[in-house]
Amino acid sequence: MKRRDFFKTSIVASAAILGSNLSAGTTHLPKMNRKVSEIPFPEKRAMITYSDRPPLLEAPRSIFTRGITENDQFFVRWHLPDIPTQIDLDSYTIKVSGLVEKELNVTLKELKNDYEQVEVTAVLQCGGNSRSAFTPIPGGIQWGSGAMGCAKWKGVRLSDILNRAGLKKNAHWIGFNGLDKPAYFKTPDFVRELELTELDENVIIAYQMNDEDLPYLNGFPLRLVLPGYYSDSWVKMLSNITVTDKYQPLFFMDKGYRIADNKTEGETPKHLAKKTKPITTMDVKSIIGYPEENMKVYHNSELVVRGVAFDDGTGIDKVMVSTDEGKTWDEALLKQENGRYSFTEFRFGFKPTKYGTVKIMAKAINRLGVAQRFAKDIPWNRGGYKYNGIDVVTVKVV
Amino acid sequence: MKKIILITVLMVGSLFAQVSKPIEVPYIAYTIKKAKGVDTLQANCLMCHSFGYVINQGAQPRLFWDKKVDKMITHFKAPITKADKKTIVDYLFKNYGNGKLK
Repeated sequence: MKRRDFFKTSIVASAAILGSNLSAGTTHLPKMNRKVSEIPFPEKRAMITYSDRPPLLEAPRSIFTRGITENDQFFVRWHLPDIPTQIDLDSYTIKVSGLVEKELNVTLKELKNDYEQVEVTAVLQCGGNSRSAFTPIPGGIQWGSGAMGCAKWKGVRLSDILNRAGLKKNAHWIGFNGLDKPAYFKTPDFVRELELTELDENVIIAYQMNDEDLPYLNGFPLRLVLPGYYSDSWVKMLSNITVTDKYQPLFFMDKGYRIADNKTEGETPKHLAKKTKPITTMDVKSIIGYPEENMKVYHNSELVVRGVAFDDGTGIDKVMVSTDEGKTWDEALLKQENGRYSFTEFRFGFKPTKYGTVKIMAKAINRLGVAQRFAKDIPWNRGGYKYNGIDVVTVKVV
Repeated sequence: MKKIILITVLMVGSLFAQVSKPIEVPYIAYTIKKAKGVDTLQANCLMCHSFGYVINQGAQPRLFWDKKVDKMITHFKAPITKADKKTIVDYLFKNYGNGKLK
């Protein structure tokens, strides 16, 4: 495409956006062209870096060709500025208190020796992943689609710990807090609360990620793992578990990470939904890892499109790929070896026979038949949460 | 065999050592526009977060920045005075605004 053509296209595109009623809010492809930073963070390779304090790091698209995300490329998102930089592993404990028969202070040694050790491979995704897909721009970090990853987590079942502490009859809510602290004493701490009914056998307290200690920036030495749920509840540097009968009002539950409480979970900037609810389980989504935007591919070459798909643990049934603007769709080959909460790898052989621009699209469908929609059909929301549009990568056949 | 075990033990030891000494998270000097009010931002906002957190919110209307600073005061308990709040909102809208009031 020549420069002039580009400007023509952008004028048409902006006219289309303006014409389509801006007050309604529009949804498009997220921004995936950001460069990785020159400064790598501790135990990480160089990543897309939005902030150093608190650290906010995004993975580049290219890592999403594989079902397991490497620890040193796993995204990072903290909320509070004061994260301990030194941890004494001998004295580190998780305190279990509140409505329990016996208060516990579980040391790391006890956790690794006195409980059954379990593993689960699960996707961790920020609720605001792909937020840059929404216009007008919702506040918050303008993530591309790299605020996610999939790892094998090893640890101990939360239910085993709660059973050992013994829940009292009126126990209903479980609060989780980590060691990160705000700068001001009065700032609300990042505490999450979950209902007992939300916590099943798959919820674990993990100390390992892909057979290594958790990286410091991913919550060393312990974090909560909630397969199928967005990452806002996967509390890092977990230090306190508090059992209560009543819900305790919390800023990060009551104001942040909420979405319109209606059927479409959508709203418009002018008519914001009055009722909202916390974001919980993840919607079906897929990302193309290769090729990447604006890559040149050779005519008649044997291109293999690769990517990953996942949902809330219902399980991926199919990934469909289109190379003709969505007119026809063909089934990609799947690799599913890490269980229903993990990334499903997909690959699709494509021989480009026409020169010029080709759009490659990927659409995942889960076992309940729920399929991804085009970006434009995803309803806008003020927090920019839960974007899961069909991924599109444009390549040039030369 | 003994050698292998020893190496494994050493490896585990070094892995655990990662947080036994303080970890240093790099400081990134996010370039923020030098304009009227920037000192007030420096004094009030950097206590809790980097400028990266500010400039990566995207270009936003005045009301957005107003509400953001309000949130910092009301919910996050940042001790920002009324006069400073106005200076900060003016700065953010002028330098990182989208031209719209709301």
